[in-house]
Amino acid sequence: MKIEVQNLRHIYPTGEEALKGLSLVLDGSASIAIIGQNGSGKTTLVKHFNGILRPTSGDVLINGESIGTRSTAKWSKVVGYVFQNPDDQLFLDTVRKELEFGPRKIGMPEETIAQQTELAAKLCGLDKLLDRHPFDLTSTQKKFCTIASIITMNPDALVFDEPTCGQDVRGVDRLCEIVNTLKGMGKLCITISHDMKFVVRNFDRVIVLYKGRVIMDGSAEAVFSRPEEISKSFVSPPPITRVAQGTGLKKTVFTIGAFMDAMKQTETEAAR
Amino acid sequence: MNKQLEVSNLSFRYSDTKQKAIADINFTVDEGEFFCIIGQNESGKSTLCSALVGLVPFYFTGKMKGDVVVLGENTRKSSVATLASKIGFVFQNPFNQLSYTTVSVAEELAYGLGNLGIEREEMHRRVERIAGLMRVDHLLNKSPLELSGGQVQRVAIGSAFIMQPKILVLDECTTQLDPLGSEEVFDVVKALNGEGITVIMADHDMERVARCADHILVLDGGKQVAVGTPAEIFSDPSIRQHSIEPPDFVTIGRRLREEGLYSGDITLTEEAAITAAKGALVR
Repeated sequence: MKIEVQNLRHIYPTGEEALKGLSLVLDGSASIAIIGQNGSGKTTLVKHFNGILRPTSGDVLINGESIGTRSTAKWSKVVGYVFQNPDDQLFLDTVRKELEFGPRKIGMPEETIAQQTELAAKLCGLDKLLDRHPFDLTSTQKKFCTIASIITMNPDALVFDEPTCGQDVRGVDRLCEIVNTLKGMGKLCITISHDMKFVVRNFDRVIVLYKGRVIMDGSAEAVFSRPEEISKSFVSPPPITRVAQGTGLKKTVFTIGAFMDAMKQTETEAAR
Repeated sequence: MNKQLEVSNLSFRYSDTKQKAIADINFTVDEGEFFCIIGQNESGKSTLCSALVGLVPFYFTGKMKGDVVVLGENTRKSSVATLASKIGFVFQNPFNQLSYTTVSVAEELAYGLGNLGIEREEMHRRVERIAGLMRVDHLLNKSPLELSGGQVQRVAIGSAFIMQPKILVLDECTTQLDPLGSEEVFDVVKALNGEGITVIMADHDMERVARCADHILVLDGGKQVAVGTPAEIFSDPSIRQHSIEPPDFVTIGRRLREEGLYSGDITLTEEAAITAAKGALVR
């Protein structure tokens, strides 16, 4: 799976230039987090990955093929997009129908639909709720219903827009499990998130957007080891990382274990 | 301290559900306090917030037991209008806050004042002040329906602030904002609290709760499982059983203590954690 973004510009009808000539290659099975403040162009960028939005200029290639050659309905077999707001996505009268809708539209065999539905429902904790009306679900369950309805499509890449928004500890744990399972299946997982703890726990590569441009791109360690540069995009590193930096530890750490190790290492070095 | 709000033996079951949304809740909030309500999703935070301002049981109907007394008014015996001048409410979903009857942000902010019969001059003064405070002054002539989620959130909070309530209840009021916007709005809440307004806030951000709360109420499955200061709540390891993850700052201090590298107070803030870690290095 390979998504190539070539000098992409997007200007909305209002005249606002949301993406100002942006180039990226997203490939392999390394999961990718796109971060940056509201209005930096994150959602505009990912909505080009299955053609919900079309470039004003530049191009997006999916496995070498220009996004302009097919409709969004066709691309969604390859790249699935989970909306930020579940109410923008859910519209049927049972959870099962929501999960089966996409696969049926793309002509998936009934047998495969049943398998995909079972897999997605289990992964998203909806297996006992398949006959419920989506409007009767809690806000957390609704979010997982939108995720499940994209998983059933079995796309090669999945884009999550702010999946942690409004989630509690259990919800975030389940999200981590979903991302890791999908990664294990060889899917390319892309997320937009403001939750830096979630980002460093699950995503191999971090791309920082600022005012419609990419200002940083690299491993989580590489990106968060440069707090001054990242602060330009008004993003702050996760709490443990900030404490380590404030303490003057040289290593960029994301977990309490790594923090304690870095403390001991610094101590030993100082003792020498 | 002057007691402003008192909840006693409060239980509530919505008319269309079998289970109680909240059960046997007891706590008091003093004047000027910053009081936080935490708990996982569906633990009863929103129901409790609604009960504090009388929306439960008068708007969201069902079976209520026990009492809520706000500045001497029992919510069962008081009118929503009387309560509205004492206690303000900011909904979790800011789109639920909009009146959908106004054509501009300025009108939307003034909507509640109009209902109270506040004079025009005073209305203008307050709209100007609140619009500046919430950073929506450049949007005053726009329709509330043209705003982004974050902007609606600011207007929603502004429309509650503008009523100058003595107590403000906020139900996860920054969900539509990015971290920067969220901190900005939160700073405004903090500033209002500094001016003496009592704040009761449901929130998921434990770092923020630990930094700002005077007292915390923990809900799990509609039941009250703990009430106390941030130090009391977050130093109790059993809090994790209720799916509450203490701030990483607290965990850092705890680990340093376990290793014999730190012996001071619980580290509730980033600064405290850094001080503890630096201290551990220069021992």
